[in-house]
Amino acid sequence: MSNTRSLAALAATVVVVLLAGGCEARRDAAAPTIGTPLAHFGAPVCTPFKITGGGRIDYPPGTPEKNPPASHIYETFGAHVIASGQEVNGTCGAEKGSLEWVDHRPEFRINGEPLNLHSIEITFAEAHFEPETDCTDGGAHWGGTLRVQNTGETADFEVYDCDNGEPGAGHDGFGIRAWPVNGQLYEVLCWDEALPPAEPTCTLTGGNRQFHPTH
Amino acid sequence: MKIRLAGLILPFLWAGSLAAQQGARAESFGVAVNTATLNQKAPAAALSSDGGTTQNQAGTVSVGTLITAEDAFATVSGAPDGANSDAVSTATLGRVSILNGLITADGVVAIATSTSGNSNADGSTLANLVVNGVQIAAPAPNTRVELSGVGYVVLNEQIVTDGGITVNMIHVVLRQPILGGYQTTGNIIAGSASSSVN
Repeated sequence: MSNTRSLAALAATVVVVLLAGGCEARRDAAAPTIGTPLAHFGAPVCTPFKITGGGRIDYPPGTPEKNPPASHIYETFGAHVIASGQEVNGTCGAEKGSLEWVDHRPEFRINGEPLNLHSIEITFAEAHFEPETDCTDGGAHWGGTLRVQNTGETADFEVYDCDNGEPGAGHDGFGIRAWPVNGQLYEVLCWDEALPPAEPTCTLTGGNRQFHPTH
Repeated sequence: MKIRLAGLILPFLWAGSLAAQQGARAESFGVAVNTATLNQKAPAAALSSDGGTTQNQAGTVSVGTLITAEDAFATVSGAPDGANSDAVSTATLGRVSILNGLITADGVVAIATSTSGNSNADGSTLANLVVNGVQIAAPAPNTRVELSGVGYVVLNEQIVTDGGITVNMIHVVLRQPILGGYQTTGNIIAGSASSSVN
């Protein structure tokens, strides 16, 4: 591991202590800043790019093989964003994008249905590259506003996105933070001190993320 | 005769519908039923020609006594981009009951993923699957189980297409005996995802 990676790992540890408290959904943390990224890790790059795809995350704790057969401990999603490459109000602008997210865990059901998040507007899209991430094909941090389909409430959100080669399952990653969802902070993020801090993503158990350097 | 032909041809159309398309293709649906008198599919999602993300939701889907499926979602995402094209489709269902409980499952996930030179069904699962009273854990691809008096079911059906794959997690083929064999009279599919790039 390079010095940069060592520092990154140390920073990640601090982040874990201060923010995450492990790979759990936190419902009592402070709200993100409205319409802008909650936090920057390293120096985001404003460059035109696109990232597409979707799939499945088993969060928490592991994989489809480890979870009980009857469990619904997984999330499925489709998402894409097109970054403008232009700096806007101190962050990187987005041309357009979309997030569709379903959390199938029983404890997250609202009004008798799985938690269902649908983006309204994408307001920023930053690229991250090695060594800030270990996403070999490219990483991204993007977000905006969404609607909680179960309740109709509007929330801010940000996602962390990682294309780490092929196939996507077992390599690529995705994570989300949204506020407020049913009045609370909602997170599916997997902080790992062994990885660079700009990548608190949960490894896909199905699907793929594809980083497109141009669009 | 036309009805019988439709029943025979439709499965092949479903399996091969992506083959003639160019770029990135993704389609998914929660439930589909095709018989002599029914032709229903819901919810369904298809990737637009310039890519993007689409999702449709149908809550609970019921088609007579043939199938009931809860929490039905269909999602697709991807983009045409030459050798960097990608396509992912997902169909998820909660509790499923087919043919008055002859086949049940507590959860269905179908995922089809395609990038250049790589297509797979990773992440596709059936939770608590029971067929004719027998629990079947993690069926291998294309597991066929005979259903006496009904036809047969293919579990975790995976069909390789041109540049892609189609995954049908539960595919019931309804058949009736005729002189010298059987004729297909319908299909019931729960959890289908297709993707391809070329």
